[in-house]
Amino acid sequence: MATKRTIEMPVESIESMTLNMGPQHPSTHGVLRVVLHLDGEVVERAICHLGYLHRAKEKHAEHKTYHQFIPYTDRMDYLAPMSNNTGYVMAVEKALGLEVTQRCVYLRTLLCELARISGHLLWLGTGALELGAMTVFLWSFTQREKIYDIFEWICGARFTVSYMRVGGMSREDYPEWRRMVREFLDQYMAAHREFETMLNGNEIFLSRVVDVGTINGKDALQLGLTGPALRGSGINYDARKHTPYLAYEEFDWEVAVEDRGDCMARYLVRMKEMEESWKIACQALEALEKTQNERCNIDNPKIIFPPKENVKRSMEDLIHHFLLASEGFKVPPAEVYQAIEGPKGELGFFLVSDGGPKAYRLGVRSPSFINLQGLEKMSIGYTISDVVAIIASLDPVMGEVDR
Amino acid sequence: MEMISDVYRGFRSLLKGMGVTIRHFFRKPVTVEYPRERAVVSKVQRNAIVLIEKDDIGSHNCIACLQCEKICPSNCISITGSRKDGLAFKRPDTFDLNFALCSECGLCLDVCPTDTLGYSKQYDKAGYSREDFFYDLLDQWKATEETALGTLREIERKKKEEREARRKADAEAKAKAKENDDGDEKA
Ligand code: SF4
Ligand code: SF4
Repeated sequence: MATKRTIEMPVESIESMTLNMGPQHPSTHGVLRVVLHLDGEVVERAICHLGYLHRAKEKHAEHKTYHQFIPYTDRMDYLAPMSNNTGYVMAVEKALGLEVTQRCVYLRTLLCELARISGHLLWLGTGALELGAMTVFLWSFTQREKIYDIFEWICGARFTVSYMRVGGMSREDYPEWRRMVREFLDQYMAAHREFETMLNGNEIFLSRVVDVGTINGKDALQLGLTGPALRGSGINYDARKHTPYLAYEEFDWEVAVEDRGDCMARYLVRMKEMEESWKIACQALEALEKTQNERCNIDNPKIIFPPKENVKRSMEDLIHHFLLASEGFKVPPAEVYQAIEGPKGELGFFLVSDGGPKAYRLGVRSPSFINLQGLEKMSIGYTISDVVAIIASLDPVMGEVDR
Repeated sequence: MEMISDVYRGFRSLLKGMGVTIRHFFRKPVTVEYPRERAVVSKVQRNAIVLIEKDDIGSHNCIACLQCEKICPSNCISITGSRKDGLAFKRPDTFDLNFALCSECGLCLDVCPTDTLGYSKQYDKAGYSREDFFYDLLDQWKATEETALGTLREIERKKKEEREARRKADAEAKAKAKENDDGDEKA
């Protein structure tokens, strides 16, 4: 005979409810799991659980030659592989003490900015989608598609580009390609204005983002946030301006900063950044056209593969080619840190070399990972539906969070 | 009163958005009607690797040097090769690609010394199992392998003759120079 049991439950444990959000939640941008402690619908704590996409990239770097690791960097922030490529090869170049050609610098600047636009377009599309605006998503993907075409026509791949090489590029740009970029840049601003009219005055959108997920500048700094998450809180820090690299010093542009620290501010920062990126890209394209007769890759067969025709003709080049292919180049013992401003924030590569053809240690400071620390601070006191908006405004890419 | 103004503002912003969307009705579609239309891919598109034909041989020119196998970050190439009669270089006996692992990074093309690797043009492969992506790159060259070997031997023989002829000429020139030198000394 069944006996009746009473379950005694302390009152406190009923008050706060624990809810798992993710890892398969569509609004968590991949496999992010957030454990929410809720009081009614209001968030008391938000604890991120990471590691679902961990692929041990940093460890891989110790077992692959410097060339072989380039494809791995694509798959960190897979929404802006060009920036990752650039950051990594720049770190290796720094360790080698290598100067790349001016033309290569312009090309990298152009591609990094296109990658930033494409990364922000995805954020814009999915962010708006999560807040209920379908149209912007489709339009932003139309634009992204064009950027992907540009990538495809220069390096052969749309998504995982693996385009940069230490000391240059895997292939050169050509006039038709530059015309293609020009076409894209010419029509882009009109589309950008459309996004703005769709969202800036949209009451539904505004009610979801204004005064939601506020964080002040001091907290943002202490948590180590970078990128739009930091600049949305009124701190003017951008690696492109404060530790200049590539050709950013030469060009005329501004850092986008907003003071309010809420989701709206982060939205505005990103929109402004896309405009600035567009400006930089236009200038970089011009600079590229001016230097079109110069070489793109450095002339050092010990680092970069010599042209195939030379390999067939000259014994010396053949030997260099063989050595590069079979064991890669050696990097003298060094410890370098190279930071670039990726679309998500400061993307740093810390490279320790022991003189061999493989890195002794490669540490990656990935902005998405560190920006996620701000999630709890931003979400406390807001409702679950606001958490969706906050995650969207942080724009984490899980491939980069877990590496 | 506040509610009315809220509704009014909401409605206005909605109409504004609609105004932008409606303009898109009159634009050309941006999509491609796949599969009735094929997408235009770039000339440099990276894809599964294939062995490409070299004009002077009528077949691929892989010398089974294993450079591509070695550099591949994903370990998806496996090659075995052996030396054939009358050839100075090896020829591959098997050349397998596990395309499921390939990241299309293009490093194998960079390292190939004979430039015999290229990308296939087919961009929409699909399969039901892993095995569907095990490619045998030599498949397409099996039929012509014998003739290719013949051509290669021919090329090899010609090269050898040329080398010999050059060596002979060199030796003669040297001998002549020596004679001259001797003559100079005597004089
Ligand atoms: S493209 Fe890259 S991953 Fe694919 S077979 Fe070549 S080296 Fe390997
Ligand atoms: S690198 Fe080229 S020649 Fe060498 S094994 Fe690979 S395909 Fe053949």
